[in-house]
Amino acid sequence: MRNRSLTSRILLNVLAWSIVFVIAFPLVWMILTSVKPQFELFRIPPTILPQEVTFEHYHRVLVETPFLKYFRNSVILAVGTTVLVIVIATLGAHSLVRFSYPGRERLAQLVLFTYLLPSVVLIIPLYLLMVWLGIANTLFSLMLAYTTFALPFALWLLRSFMQGIPQDLEAAALVDGASRMEAFVDVILPQAVPGIISTALFTFILAWNEYLYALVLVNTDEARPLTTGVMNMLITAFNIEWSLLMAASVMMSLPVIIVFALLQKHLTRGFGAGGVKG
Amino acid sequence: MAEVTFDKVRKAFGSAVAVRELDLAIRSGEFVSLLGPSGCGKTTTLRMLAGLETPTSGAISIDGTVVNELAPAKRDIAMVFQSYALYPHMSVAQNIAYPLKKRGVSRADRDVRVAAVAATLQLGALLDRKPRQLSGGQQQRVALGRALVRDPRVFLLDEPLSNLDAKLRAHMRAELIELHRRIGKTMVYVTHDQLEAMTMSDRIAVMHDGVLQQFGTPKEVYETPANLFVASFIGSPGMNLVKGELRAAGSGLAFVRGDLSLPVANGGTAGAAVTLGVRPEDITLGAGPFACTIRVVEPTGHETIVMAEAAGETLVARAAPDSQLVPGQVVPFAVRAQRLHAFDADGRRLPLVFAQSNGA
Repeated sequence: MRNRSLTSRILLNVLAWSIVFVIAFPLVWMILTSVKPQFELFRIPPTILPQEVTFEHYHRVLVETPFLKYFRNSVILAVGTTVLVIVIATLGAHSLVRFSYPGRERLAQLVLFTYLLPSVVLIIPLYLLMVWLGIANTLFSLMLAYTTFALPFALWLLRSFMQGIPQDLEAAALVDGASRMEAFVDVILPQAVPGIISTALFTFILAWNEYLYALVLVNTDEARPLTTGVMNMLITAFNIEWSLLMAASVMMSLPVIIVFALLQKHLTRGFGAGGVKG
Repeated sequence: MAEVTFDKVRKAFGSAVAVRELDLAIRSGEFVSLLGPSGCGKTTTLRMLAGLETPTSGAISIDGTVVNELAPAKRDIAMVFQSYALYPHMSVAQNIAYPLKKRGVSRADRDVRVAAVAATLQLGALLDRKPRQLSGGQQQRVALGRALVRDPRVFLLDEPLSNLDAKLRAHMRAELIELHRRIGKTMVYVTHDQLEAMTMSDRIAVMHDGVLQQFGTPKEVYETPANLFVASFIGSPGMNLVKGELRAAGSGLAFVRGDLSLPVANGGTAGAAVTLGVRPEDITLGAGPFACTIRVVEPTGHETIVMAEAAGETLVARAAPDSQLVPGQVVPFAVRAQRLHAFDADGRRLPLVFAQSNGA
């Protein structure tokens, strides 16, 4: 018995670590490549650890390319989308949970239904809409586009979360002298914080990593985010600047990793709470 | 000081009617209990008074002003919820101070009043704790404190004691009676526990299926129940109900059920179906014109509850704790005629007067 459990534990560990290796390898390789000198990249046999560590590529990406401008665009875009989605989704979810009006459940289902549409289908109509509104080629147009497809999921996540908040809490606040909006801000929102954090993280990552819409809806450097910007400047038909691409990729991944690491605790709490009704 | 009036108030949720044409006039400073089984509409009535539900029709007024459309915040009421509804992210002090904060009371004033309330309710040492760090009884006191910290016109209490253990409940009941006597405010108290309603209230409104059954003092409700529902709901163990009819007997009428016969001194018509109500304490075992067979004997310490069979009915009687009754024994019994109740076929109280009978 004991032997068998030991072997199965070893097997399980081997399996788990090989999966970790498969997933982590590209990331590790990206970091290693970004600090190798150019000449070392194409050496045969390849070196695993860099023989000489250089930060020259980082310097070049930051100084010689519009990387920082793209970075700024991405930050504005991701933060803006997140704020917009959270404001609409918390109010919307609260309405779907607390207010009673005809067609409420149908509306909630309809919201989810829009989530089923492949995003490719919406690109052309959205682009034409943005042109018609006169906001094509701006960060704002991307923000609106991202909001349209982050909102359904955010609404549902927050809805199931808010269903767990006792109704009496809001009633107590109303009797205690709060207006509906004050009760929402004073009592409901603090209870919903874990749910809001997970929703915000989800939206932020989605907006930060989005590529397709950024490619189609925006074609000026002024409004280009990192995803399309980096591809645009470092990958051409003739050449791929591997070292710079890897350095840029590392710097692109950092904000998400940092945000994720900081909020991870809340994230698991938030997703967990969605499934359990209090 | 505030009077509360319900004028033909009706509340329907879709096709389900929770409260039907409720008329209720609560006097200023009165402690009124809304009593009934779950689903009888008592909580809905309270929530309408709080402004958390809007009546479908009818008018609710406080001090003569109709408040139907007034937001809860504007009604100057305080409410204690069954779940206590303490704000989990706020400390005890912040919870109690919240109603003051929402009414623009200055921080210094708030601190003074929170400290005063905390002292009354012995919460002083707990002010910095969060609600989840408190026991049920402590949470209950915080909820009460949050209601007391203001000087509202009306207090609403929605089954505030139902989550406490029996000992603490008895203690808090006494505290609430004392509190009401001290502050003299109008209080509306929702409960399904008749003991709470009987002990604490000036008047009790008994509700069933959204309909007010009777509104009267605990004594009235107990001694002259308006209908069968009130008769059977109030009292523990419940009133014995025996179905029979009125028949001519000698010069007058008598209530007859099997070989049981009780002469009626006044009122009633021959042939009418009547339900006779007898409280367990109004049956005297050991002597009397009737006979019953003892089935079950339950000593509780301060009294003994006896179940006995007579005329095919099971009767429940109270006996002295030292009574030497055994199951299977046949004993004579009497009923106190002046304390009997009679109800017609629709369950309404009949003004029958029974004569004390000395022979079967």
